[in-house]
Amino acid sequence: MSASKALQQALGAALPVMAGYVGIGIPCGIMESNIGLNALMAFAVSMTFYSGAGQFMISNLWMTGSPLVSIIASVSFVNTRQMLYSAAFSPYFEQARKRLTLLFAATVTDESFGVNLAKFQEGSWTPGRATLVNLLCMTTWGIANAAGVLLGNALSIPAAIAAFAMTSIFICLLAMQEMNRLNILVIAASAIAVCVFKSVGLSAPAILLGACCGVVLGMVCRKARRA
Amino acid sequence: MSTLDFLLVFGCCLVSMLICRCLPIFVLKGRDLPEGLQAALNFIPPAAFAALVANDLYSPGMFDAGLWPALLPFAASLVVVVVGKKSGSLIWCVVVGVLCYAVLSAL
Repeated sequence: MSASKALQQALGAALPVMAGYVGIGIPCGIMESNIGLNALMAFAVSMTFYSGAGQFMISNLWMTGSPLVSIIASVSFVNTRQMLYSAAFSPYFEQARKRLTLLFAATVTDESFGVNLAKFQEGSWTPGRATLVNLLCMTTWGIANAAGVLLGNALSIPAAIAAFAMTSIFICLLAMQEMNRLNILVIAASAIAVCVFKSVGLSAPAILLGACCGVVLGMVCRKARRA
Repeated sequence: MSTLDFLLVFGCCLVSMLICRCLPIFVLKGRDLPEGLQAALNFIPPAAFAALVANDLYSPGMFDAGLWPALLPFAASLVVVVVGKKSGSLIWCVVVGVLCYAVLSAL
């Protein structure tokens, strides 16, 4: 299989994700310009940390005045779901070279995960092409973020509007979750817990503590239901 | 955000991200994650997004300026939920959400 054929196949698989990343990377860059990142910083973050939800969270928490420790703890907590993706790919990378596996694993996202896993399950997919899909998506994300920062510097968006743009993103991500009984319970418990923590003056760790309450309650109810 | 703050947040988040992304694929070698851990990890996205939304929409003393300023974001949020459910598109949610918020604020 020639290199250009491989690139062509990877591009075909990656294109829908790349289009989505342009659409969401530009608003993400606008938010990053609002918290004072320049285009180079946003590009660097996007090409390494590379997480839409994570990058929006950093901007959002910074704008609402969270202390650095609680920003880092909350974002890291949300990062842990990447372990699921990494685990799902491990059977397909048993034979792959270590360096390729590392590059692939470091560049998996929610969207490229879906595309690559479907391709692997179809059968005719290789670790090399899967990594190419990741790199194409990541580069698109990086460029869109940098472009968003430049655009954000040119525009001046009122803070309340910018803040609600981020709320809208989190609402959409929430609405896309599977709404089974346990998840609805977890969602309600997390939201109520956040309000309670904020009311008693624990604003800084409210997101992390609230989400932990939701997960713990979910685990307890899952156990109770199976017992 | 000062450069030092940026480097601190970026550095720490990057390290935790790389550990979560890279460790399982090397350690598991084709085996599954323990079932309990999988279940807990699956609960994290709904819990985290619910917490983020609640944090944005609720603040103590939000009704001090009257009912409408506090309820306005909720009204716009309901529209975003409908758009999110119907389209599943982040970009549409942002566009409609922001427009809705701007129009309701201007009323």
